[in-house]
Amino acid sequence: MNTDPTINTPAPAANGDSDWLDAALAADGRSHREAYIDDSGFTARLTTALPAPATLPAWRKPALSALWAAAGLGVALALPTAATDVARELFRLAAHPVSLLEIVAAIAVLGAISWGGAAYVLRQD
Amino acid sequence: MAPPGVADAELIARVVVHDDRHAFAELVRRYQSPIRATLRRMTAGNHALADDLAQETFLLAYRNLKSFRHEARFPTWLHRIATNAFLADARKRKEELLGDRDGDVADEDDDADGASDGAGEGHERAASLKLDLERAMATLSEAERAAIIQCYHNDLTHEEAAYVLNCPVGTVKTHVLRAKQKLKLRLAAWNPEPDAAA
Repeated sequence: MNTDPTINTPAPAANGDSDWLDAALAADGRSHREAYIDDSGFTARLTTALPAPATLPAWRKPALSALWAAAGLGVALALPTAATDVARELFRLAAHPVSLLEIVAAIAVLGAISWGGAAYVLRQD
Repeated sequence: MAPPGVADAELIARVVVHDDRHAFAELVRRYQSPIRATLRRMTAGNHALADDLAQETFLLAYRNLKSFRHEARFPTWLHRIATNAFLADARKRKEELLGDRDGDVADEDDDADGASDGAGEGHERAASLKLDLERAMATLSEAERAAIIQCYHNDLTHEEAAYVLNCPVGTVKTHVLRAKQKLKLRLAAWNPEPDAAA
């Protein structure tokens, strides 16, 4: 609400005979805005009347997990060739021979990431 | 507990994301006074009803905070909810209110005459005018009273009042104009230049 009485107040009536009423309403409005109603426990009463926080039932999480597992199993059974293809590729990747150079490169990359991350976290702005 | 200096938007975000009741309590503490004061005006001084409506307002705000899109300032949004709660309640109580109002109008006419006869200049006169104005406001329709309160007491622009009252700007202007015409008639004794009004 605007505190400046010269801005955004409704324009007074064009006819001058309403000026006294405008002035009376404006004065009444000012006293209304300046008056403060003490809380007197209003906020405390209201917060106790707020609806209870929504808590999830204990069975909801395991039930959802079971549903997701069943859905995953259903998809795997519905697409048997896709599942076996994925499994075969995973085995093939795991059995892939790794050279010493690749191991060194992987360690170097992991080290750089770790040092960079630590430096970023411990930085002092 | 949320410190008093935290911005409304941050408190709202805490309530929406984490259901932070302390943050909501801080919002209530900040705006309980203007909301309750406005509702007291709208209910023509019925403090118990005003506080019930204020509680309903904040509970509705809590439930609907996720839908608050910051298209208006938070207190303006609260005033909109409060006004809707008042108008809905007034519709429910229409029959009862109309019955009571007949008696109030008769009393008020007597009081207005008395004030014009006995009130002097200065502070006493201003206090008497304020009292008569409050009584005259009680005779307005709910929509007219709400429009006057939003425009004069809450110092809103016609556009903001239209948002709060959930109606077009033209309707707000019409309500204000009609309300002022009625107030002018009711408070004619206070007009310093009665000939000019005639």
